[in-house]
Amino acid sequence: MINKRRNGPGVATILDTSRFYRALSTPAMVLLTFLFLIPLSIILSKAFVDDAGGFSLARLRLMLTDAYTWRILRFTLLQALASTVLSVLIGLPGAYLLATYRFPGKSIIRAICTLPFVLPSILVVLGFVIFYGNNGLVNTLLMSMFDLEQPPLRILYTFGAIIIAHAFYNFPIALGLISSFWEQLPSRYNHAAMTMGARRWTVFRTVTLPRLVPAILSASTLIFLFCFSSFAILLVLGGGPRFTTLEVEIYRRARMTLDLEGAAALSLLSIAVTLVLVAAHLWTQRMMAHQEEIEAISERRLERSPRSIWGKSIAFLYVVFSVVFVLGPLAGIIYRSFLAPVSRSGDLAFSTRWYRQLFGLETVAGSPLGVAASAILLSLTIAAITAFVSLVIGTMLAARLRKTRRRSNISMELYAMLPMAVSSVVVGLGYYLVSSVFTGRRSLGVVLVVLAHVVIASPFVLRSILPEYRKIPFSYTQASLTLGATVSQTFWRVEVPLLRSAMATGAAFAFAISMGEINATLVLADSSIITVPIVMYRLIGSYNFAGACALGTILIACCAIVFALTESMKRSRHV
Amino acid sequence: MSDSGLVCSNIRVEYPEFTLSLDLTVSEGELVSIIGPSGCGKSTTLQLITGLIPCESGSIMLNGVDITNTPVWERNIGMVFQDYALFPHLNVEQNIAYSLKLKKIIKQERHERVARLLELVGLEGYGKRKIALLSGGERQRVALARALASEPKLLLLDEPLSALDAKMRKRLRQQIRKIHEATGITTLYVTHDQEEALTISDRIVVMQEGRIEQFNTPEVIYNNPSTLFAAKFMGEGTLLPHSLIPQTLVSIDKGPDTVVFRSGGETRQIFFRPERVIVHDNPALAFPEFLPHLRFNKTRVISCEYQGGQYLLECDWNGYTILAYCRHKPKNERVSLGVRVNDLVEYVDGVVTK
Repeated sequence: MINKRRNGPGVATILDTSRFYRALSTPAMVLLTFLFLIPLSIILSKAFVDDAGGFSLARLRLMLTDAYTWRILRFTLLQALASTVLSVLIGLPGAYLLATYRFPGKSIIRAICTLPFVLPSILVVLGFVIFYGNNGLVNTLLMSMFDLEQPPLRILYTFGAIIIAHAFYNFPIALGLISSFWEQLPSRYNHAAMTMGARRWTVFRTVTLPRLVPAILSASTLIFLFCFSSFAILLVLGGGPRFTTLEVEIYRRARMTLDLEGAAALSLLSIAVTLVLVAAHLWTQRMMAHQEEIEAISERRLERSPRSIWGKSIAFLYVVFSVVFVLGPLAGIIYRSFLAPVSRSGDLAFSTRWYRQLFGLETVAGSPLGVAASAILLSLTIAAITAFVSLVIGTMLAARLRKTRRRSNISMELYAMLPMAVSSVVVGLGYYLVSSVFTGRRSLGVVLVVLAHVVIASPFVLRSILPEYRKIPFSYTQASLTLGATVSQTFWRVEVPLLRSAMATGAAFAFAISMGEINATLVLADSSIITVPIVMYRLIGSYNFAGACALGTILIACCAIVFALTESMKRSRHV
Repeated sequence: MSDSGLVCSNIRVEYPEFTLSLDLTVSEGELVSIIGPSGCGKSTTLQLITGLIPCESGSIMLNGVDITNTPVWERNIGMVFQDYALFPHLNVEQNIAYSLKLKKIIKQERHERVARLLELVGLEGYGKRKIALLSGGERQRVALARALASEPKLLLLDEPLSALDAKMRKRLRQQIRKIHEATGITTLYVTHDQEEALTISDRIVVMQEGRIEQFNTPEVIYNNPSTLFAAKFMGEGTLLPHSLIPQTLVSIDKGPDTVVFRSGGETRQIFFRPERVIVHDNPALAFPEFLPHLRFNKTRVISCEYQGGQYLLECDWNGYTILAYCRHKPKNERVSLGVRVNDLVEYVDGVVTK
């Protein structure tokens, strides 16, 4: 009671009045505004400009009355909806298993849950082709098993391919979000229902499911948002105008038909939709928080081992399924990168040819692999800088947003998350428009790529630090102050050390996101800026899948090393 | 005289639904408890004194120095938090040395001081332990040692024992008292437990709704509570209308005290504690004191609760409830109760009258 009052509205405590925290957050806010709002407003202004350079709604009207626009929008929403439904359906049984049982392989599934946030979409595309393609691993396996002449699975460049790729990419989100919420649900309600005579299925239908609704909706809105703004998957797997989405169309107009104003007008439409989706997502999160508050962590559900053979085999099958479904394509990439044709007939054998080409030990005229080594260097540089800058921005913002429940701070939190509401293609377009003002300096182009990546990555960093920051009791800060530490000394000596592992995770996220970022980079960069995903995209475009696999393996290795480093850092702190 | 110790004059802070306003003087070396129900402003008072909440008006002087506008970190006031707030990323020794390190005290001296503090709180050899591995009582003592490390001029304890079990509470409050005597540090101790306040303090502040109800020694607070609120908060008791006195008064002429019955309005009330009540099984028996007293005949015992050393009787006398302690269990349902007039406290509108 007294605590509520102490931090309640209208009360000035030392933390509110501290100049340090204000000094900490202001530059971050200004920077974010600068990085995010300026490109965005350039896009918006482009949409309202007519050929003579004056203000006009004509372009908008043209876009909104064009049947093509509506066809694209309809398709975009449809594929997002189908992908979301499939992802949630795959995720839900796993969420039940994770929340209820203890079984071998559980930690693998848990680790898979964070994958969608960091796995580069270009890897998903590549993995999908390698795994499910006509000459892919699944088909090869099936052909050799059943002695078939033709590949039985012809899924590439169909609607189904898009949906399955999206599901593979996004179902772990549903799995992670729903299971972690499910774990918190106290089982006493279930027990109460059972004592009143409800059978297990009835309990699930009448007690558990209604209480899971906020988590399911939360996962759904997030997945829908990701699928709505999905770009690389549709660009490659969609294959043609039949499966064009809003984001692909924006890219096409901006970089191929050079209809920048048209691209800007479509961006407006995209932003409008994503804003609605983010608002919906935040609303579901509020619902979840509200329910958690009511239930106030009384008892955790006790995990138990599955009792029956039936339960055991379901758990086992799910583990196998998700490992094959998610890790299979990634393993396929690594496997395929070490294979090369040895004879004219196309028989494959172990070879390091692609790696030799990649590192310039062997040159093949005209192959995009020639620039791979410099692309790796550039990507690593960009990712390292992005990780550092996003970490600084994310930490500064978290320090300010830590004590919320204040109206002004809630709006600030929304504002800090705003970059999430704008798809990375649109961010890329904004920076492309900025870059068109200056001409032809490569270094500037690289800087713009870094800035675009910072805009895309910093909300994720904030998201990983803020919850940990809020877990630090205020009394720690207060204790440090009474012990003679100034506010800034307290920040460095108490808060930062306690946040170390969250900061490491955030930085690793930012690094991985930047390393694999292709949407904004492709829209923004000219031919002189070549990052790893762009080389991979070009390799896939020229049907050099094996070369793309070799580069993809390096990409996987880089991200894996960074995550392993952060993990070891976390361990060393807690032992 | 007001040069040493803590002097808070007219400090005030306003919240939408609550105002805290108080005057408080604590002499140097004194241990003063602040007691009151939750939400009365005890913790807020400590936060104001430490500077964690800025003072809206008034002034705070510590040993003659005005610290009203001094930042928290320059006040040198030690504080033990309710949840101890030990830093989990540091071990016991590093927690205690935190303030010493900030003051850039050299390593060797730091070590010596930490060792001395650990000895003071009875935790020798605990220096390298992780906070997470300590028990509640050990954490509390580490928090105390940490607060004392920078040799503060004032020590504040915010319900330091509330998270511990009853046995540990008793042991640790004795230890806190001992440490207080050993260091002689001026101490403010916030608690909601009246027994704790009575046993540990030199003086007690009773607070309610942001105001001080009474500020006096434990004996005075217990025996002569200046308001009905303080009376009820500090322990059990019986409240009766003053108008019952004529019916129940047994005056003994030979005694030194003569009773002057002041007729009063409806709002005049009398209050007495259960241990002041004498219980007789035999209705014919007189109360032996040669002093004026009130006598309640034919009181019905409603409940008799065994409390270890004694019984707490809840009795009904003509519709009034009277509480009394008794060494033995009454044999009959009806008993006679007697209270000495000297043990009565009189209130008008909830405030004590002389």
